[in-house]
Amino acid sequence: MNKKLTRFRFDMKTIAVLLLIIYFAIFLVYPIYKAFAGSLHNWNPLIDKYDFVGLDNFKNVLTSSLFWQSMKNTFTFAFFSVVFRIIFGLGLALLISSKFTKMRTVFQGLFYMPTITPLVAVSFVWMWMFDPQFGLINKIFNLDINWLKDSTWALPAIIIMTIWKDFGYATVLFLGGLMGLPEDVFEASKIDGASAWQTFWRITVPLLKPTTLFVLITSLITYLQAYIQILIMTEGGPGTSTYVISYLIFDEAFVKYNFGTASAMAIILFVMIGILTVLMFKATGERKMKS
Amino acid sequence: MNKGKTIALNSILVILSLITIVPFIWMLLSSFAPNSEIVKIGGSLFPTPSSISNYLDVQEKFNFLRMFANSLFIAITTTVIIIYTSALMGFVFAKFRFWGKNVLFGVVLSTMMLPWAVTIIPKYEMMVDFGWLDSYKALIIPSMVSGFGIFMFRQAISQIPDEMLEAARVDGASDFYIFHRIILPMSQNTIASLAIFQFLWSWEDFLWPYLMINNEEKQLLSVGLRMFNGQYGTDYGGLFAATSISIIPVIVIYIIFQKRFIAGVSSGSIK
Repeated sequence: MNKKLTRFRFDMKTIAVLLLIIYFAIFLVYPIYKAFAGSLHNWNPLIDKYDFVGLDNFKNVLTSSLFWQSMKNTFTFAFFSVVFRIIFGLGLALLISSKFTKMRTVFQGLFYMPTITPLVAVSFVWMWMFDPQFGLINKIFNLDINWLKDSTWALPAIIIMTIWKDFGYATVLFLGGLMGLPEDVFEASKIDGASAWQTFWRITVPLLKPTTLFVLITSLITYLQAYIQILIMTEGGPGTSTYVISYLIFDEAFVKYNFGTASAMAIILFVMIGILTVLMFKATGERKMKS
Repeated sequence: MNKGKTIALNSILVILSLITIVPFIWMLLSSFAPNSEIVKIGGSLFPTPSSISNYLDVQEKFNFLRMFANSLFIAITTTVIIIYTSALMGFVFAKFRFWGKNVLFGVVLSTMMLPWAVTIIPKYEMMVDFGWLDSYKALIIPSMVSGFGIFMFRQAISQIPDEMLEAARVDGASDFYIFHRIILPMSQNTIASLAIFQFLWSWEDFLWPYLMINNEEKQLLSVGLRMFNGQYGTDYGGLFAATSISIIPVIVIYIIFQKRFIAGVSSGSIK
């Protein structure tokens, strides 16, 4: 719709754009500015303190061993959760979309069940699943592991639960991606006598690249700031074995009320996510999510 | 040959889906079992369901239905608002030209990679300054716009041919009319997918209601579940009953919209 009229008018478009800009100014730009400003201050609302300290908060954060421990845990958590989410998501999407599959919507619904279950609820159920005495996991696999109270197993336990909870989201996105693929390409490869394996690697995978990139980036962003399962299931413990960066920020901000330190950590996380997102777009050679 | 493939493939899917829903079955059975049955040493794999007392107890000990209703109200309200604002802005970004459009759309996209941790402290302070603590204004007003939603609608609406809108315009239709009578009805798939995503996100949101609402009468379910666990940590049957009920609304929303869900994801998010 080429509007040749450039004269200012109060039409729907103008009003909508103005409202969006005002909304962003209040609930996006100002808070971001305030977070940057706050990170340079010793800021504690309980004792009404807001003193400029320069980069001290950043220095303290970057020299804190708990911060680096949390970073390591965050990346371990994010890496395994993303990889398995994509593998299970793509695998199941391929199985469901196969022409031999009956009752697609039923399977699709069942696999999506964990994803549409609230995370707080899921965390409680899995705390109980991991219970050393009465939990289903130890009973089924005949194990004797105190999952959430053992510093070796606590983080893997949380990763397992997160993979179970979240693979359905990737399944759905891949199903959507597969649905949008052009039929004729597959017809052509069939006529040319390509095996199923060849078709998968040579046609399906390259064509699904935008979907995969979308899942990869949104998942990574989600997992780098996940904390609810940790807050409910382990509160960072045992010791510091399940501290992740967002849990640390939550703890620093709303348990200890060190708003300045928490803001500094949030900004470090922000910069990190920004850099990673750019790197991923570069690495995959994709200019935009939408061409 | 094909029959063998069909059987093999469907059997694999049946087994995998059973594995997926085992925790739900276990939770549901436990919610109908007395605590003594759940924590029985050497008990069977699944507790035997025998009573509904857990469900009755939860309501008695805890104002469960109240929190359930509060969460339902907030989740439905924010979902409806976000669908409307996302569709409107998606339409504007897809079909109009204006100064600074690409920059503004870049801002919309960048909200998707902005960690909650950056804005939550300043927003918390703002709400305190506005005097919105313990008010649903704090839960609704800062959550009226979704970058993800605008992005999905823009992608989907871009695929609606310009000629169709031009034709309506020639017939004298206003933008307002075009949006409500052409764009919205044609975006049903996207509306369905966003409804499913957004309802879940609002329903499971924990930190913001936890920070904003202190009054138990106004508290939401996700925060309530954690409070329940803190107060009655040994009442496993009660916790399972409460958890089971907390899942129902999201499943209902999914069932209502599922027919158009995948199609919406397909046309909406990525192409």
